[in-house]
Amino acid sequence: MDKSALIDGLHPLEIKALTAFGSGGSILSTEQLVAATGLESSQLSMAVEWLLAKQLLLVTSETVAPLVSLTPLGETYFERYAPVEHILSIARDASSTGKRLTISDLYAKEGLDPVDVSKAVGRLKKEGVLLIVQGGCLESTGRPSPSAEAMRTLLRELHEGPREVGGFPEAFRQLIQEHAVRRGSTREPFRVEDRVVRSYGLSPDGVAVAGQLAAQPTLEEVSQLSPELLKDRSWRTKRFRKYTISLRAPRIGTGKKHPYREFLDAVKAKLVSMGFQEMRGSLVETEFWNMDALFMPQFHPARDIHDVYFVKQPTHAARVAEPFLSRVTIAHQNGGSTGSTGWGYTFNRERAKRLVLRSQGTAVSSRTLAANPSVPGKYFSIARCFRYDQVDATHATDFFQVEGIVLSENINFRTLLGLLNLFAREVAHAKEVKFVPAYFPFTEPSVELHVRHPKLGWMELGGAGLFRPEVTLPLGVTAPVIAWGLGLDRMAMIALGIHDIRELFTDNLELIRTTRGVF
Amino acid sequence: MPTISIFKADLESLLDSEQKRRAISIEDLENWLLLVKGELKSHNPDTGELRVELQDSNRPDLWCCEGIARQIRIKRKGKLKPYPFLAKKAQAPLRLTVAQGMEQVRPYVAACAARGYRVTEDGLAQLIQTQEKLADIFGHKRKTVSIGLYQLQKIQFPVTYELVKPDDARFTPLGMETVMTLSEILMIHPKGLEHGYILAGQSRLPILRDAGNQPLSFPPIINSREIGEVRVGDNELFVEVTGTDLSMVVLTLNIFAVNLADRGATIEPVEVQYPKGTALGKRVVTPQDLGKSRAIKIETIRGALGQELSEKTVKQALETYGYDVSVEKGTVKAKLPLYRQDLLHAMDVVEDVAMSCGYGTFAPEMPVQFTVGGLSRIEQISDRARELMVGLGFQEIISNILGSPEQYRDAMCLAETEWGSMVEVDNVMSLSFSCLRQWMVPSLLRVEAASNRAFYPHRLFEAGEVAIPDPTHELGSRTEIVLGAMIAHATAHFSEIHSCLEVLLYHAGKEYSLEPVQHPSFLDGRAGRILVAERPVGVIGEVHPEVLERWQIAVPVVAFDMNLSQLSDLLTAPP
Repeated sequence: MDKSALIDGLHPLEIKALTAFGSGGSILSTEQLVAATGLESSQLSMAVEWLLAKQLLLVTSETVAPLVSLTPLGETYFERYAPVEHILSIARDASSTGKRLTISDLYAKEGLDPVDVSKAVGRLKKEGVLLIVQGGCLESTGRPSPSAEAMRTLLRELHEGPREVGGFPEAFRQLIQEHAVRRGSTREPFRVEDRVVRSYGLSPDGVAVAGQLAAQPTLEEVSQLSPELLKDRSWRTKRFRKYTISLRAPRIGTGKKHPYREFLDAVKAKLVSMGFQEMRGSLVETEFWNMDALFMPQFHPARDIHDVYFVKQPTHAARVAEPFLSRVTIAHQNGGSTGSTGWGYTFNRERAKRLVLRSQGTAVSSRTLAANPSVPGKYFSIARCFRYDQVDATHATDFFQVEGIVLSENINFRTLLGLLNLFAREVAHAKEVKFVPAYFPFTEPSVELHVRHPKLGWMELGGAGLFRPEVTLPLGVTAPVIAWGLGLDRMAMIALGIHDIRELFTDNLELIRTTRGVF
Repeated sequence: MPTISIFKADLESLLDSEQKRRAISIEDLENWLLLVKGELKSHNPDTGELRVELQDSNRPDLWCCEGIARQIRIKRKGKLKPYPFLAKKAQAPLRLTVAQGMEQVRPYVAACAARGYRVTEDGLAQLIQTQEKLADIFGHKRKTVSIGLYQLQKIQFPVTYELVKPDDARFTPLGMETVMTLSEILMIHPKGLEHGYILAGQSRLPILRDAGNQPLSFPPIINSREIGEVRVGDNELFVEVTGTDLSMVVLTLNIFAVNLADRGATIEPVEVQYPKGTALGKRVVTPQDLGKSRAIKIETIRGALGQELSEKTVKQALETYGYDVSVEKGTVKAKLPLYRQDLLHAMDVVEDVAMSCGYGTFAPEMPVQFTVGGLSRIEQISDRARELMVGLGFQEIISNILGSPEQYRDAMCLAETEWGSMVEVDNVMSLSFSCLRQWMVPSLLRVEAASNRAFYPHRLFEAGEVAIPDPTHELGSRTEIVLGAMIAHATAHFSEIHSCLEVLLYHAGKEYSLEPVQHPSFLDGRAGRILVAERPVGVIGEVHPEVLERWQIAVPVVAFDMNLSQLSDLLTAPP
């Protein structure tokens, strides 16, 4: 079986551990592996875990051995002295100076624990190091104490690190046993715990892999291809470690269009594809082009101070182009030659010059009508408009209107409906439409287009109509003109999965970055 | 325009006589509402209340239950039944005298009496709603038209419409307990405070008084509580309309007259006697039909609708829509009923024909003319710039253009500088929406300031319109397209944004240079004016820490702002 895929995925630590086993059958304990590989024990244990998981390594034996180590108290004994050493030294002192020393002196003057004292004194007496003479006085015999010496040796060796109990001679083992922490006796210098000791050997797969590793030239592993490796062609002698490609990728910043702008771009492209030419206008307009030229009487309720934003400075335009101002004035007053009775009021020419923030995209159309448009001609604009509205989830004070006009000698109410049908199909992908009578100040007849959207059900897609002759004739257009507008905000919001119109212009970068465009 | 409240049972009772009354389904109702450009906004099945929005601002006759019912009824019955009060012309026993001097204040009045209709709860609700909607929307908040309703039996004729000094007349107004003079009403009464401006500057005020010198009302402010409060159960009413436009005043009275007649009242006209002649003469009997018949060629209607309609079809369509019609030699003579005055142009008749036939009877026809589509030059340039910015790793944003001087100017340290002038709004509703942006960098900082949790680096751009004040322009400002770009992260540096600008201008095919500029929004010595062909087209620099502090932005920001419209003027048009 070919193990090359397996070998390619091996980490350098794993390779080190595997090769330590030589060509086959040796069994190594953890300590031996540390010695053979020269790895830190933490690195080795990682490598061993990985190899076990890959079933290249097997656990050949597992034994439990008691291990002894110092408790914090044992460390203190090591730094200073154990009780047995302490008592021995006091007793020798007393004997050499001829002072009387009793057991109770040991408690009272030296502050030793009675349990420690009785244990130590008992052992020292047994060893013939101490004598208890008349009056309960302690006397040193001057002989050496094997247990005090053994204790010092143990403290010193265990201070270096834990050791297996079995590695000590019997006398030591007994001492450990006596002074090990256990239930009911926690103040002891030693702690004895069981430890698992494992030995490892290669599995049959491991033998194969180790063999293959030994057979193949030892390629140096690199994590990154570099220009140097390519330049000197040394990549051929390198091994490229394989990555765990199932991990999630780190996040990066994106350069992309705004999803709402993308939506509008798509509408723009669609309109151009249907033969519409883009027209542009000004954010600030005169009331003339914004309303008067559209035959909205100056007393119209929608021209109130509460419906339109007026400009502070300058308040009025220098002029409104003639002959349009005069012709529109007459159309409003008595209809002039438009065939209309007009509105029958005195038109205020000064009011016509009042500057406002464009409140409807139709202002762009009225400018176009006055600028010698082509007949036949089709025009559109995506115009930013401003309405004096309280801002909430469904009302914006600053929004886009998609509007336009179609001029032709041969258009009528039925071609108007045909155009709306086209919009319904091309822009909303709707198959079912409904035409509903509507009212706009500048069109007659007027119609609203309702469509059954494949996902949203019946919705209003737009409004349209034939411009009134009072609008077209004073601007010098004699052909009939269709005016149309599409309400796309709701469609955009649903396409982008948002419920608040204010979110179209959100300042939340995270949201902008993660909102998917419409594909 | 207005949204009104009507009751289904009331509507049904106006559609059919009591014997033939039948319930109308909501679906049928929605179809019928197409005839009046009405949209059903809501329906409460428990109370029967319907909220209907009426779109046509030139058809005030439709802003009430009676008007909606009338339009549907005529369609069903085939013709409008003539109103009897129009027949017995000039015989008006009731008189109303207009005194001298009214033409300076509120010149016109029209009135009629209605007997024999006992006011029901629904009927009263409609009377009050119609009064409010007509005075408010059609009458421009009572300025051009206002309406008063009274208990007829309390009035001694003739009634006089005259001027008095503000302290010389007093009565108890509706909504008050005590007698008040007219000046007190203007100062204290809520309606006086609301509508008093209409009479601002007048030393004498209008009043309607009866032959017993009893005040009826103080138009257009408030009625007397004694006479001018109509209640359920009243069966003799007096209606008056005052205002500044005679035909609108008469039209409004006509609407009330037909509404009450449709509910079963007998209308008694009133003769209004003016001191001088009016457009309708010195003695004006109201209600009065002011409509004139208008001749329209059938061919005009056919051409506009794109349909071969027979003379008979046209006649029938208009008759079933309430017109008085005759057809002769390819010409239709059409006259509107007395409750309408919205026939300005033949096209208005064309729409009524289409609505009466139903829009569904016109088959859509594809326009066939070939035209070439395309984008404006500046839009093409803007789109190219956007593509490049995306390629440079920038996220596009989109912002309001209408914003606050605080953000566009003050937070940018531009107050009192050449960079800080903007188009500002006169009638400010909220400071947050009170000026147009004059450059793009604040729009970018707005997003940066709100996005310190979004992972860095931030690279943002927006291409969009700004308004640049320009006294030499006829509109006082120029609308131009500006491209703004911004980079923000812990070590954002001038050269990063400079590199991006360089790429853009390389692809625009233009040599450029940077000239040091002292711009308060940027660190001195780290800001430049972008010059193309020695013309300034923008600025670039490291945003000043003072600006960052004002926006509460905690990382360095570098940015540029380049005017694409001005750049476009310098570019040669594509071949």
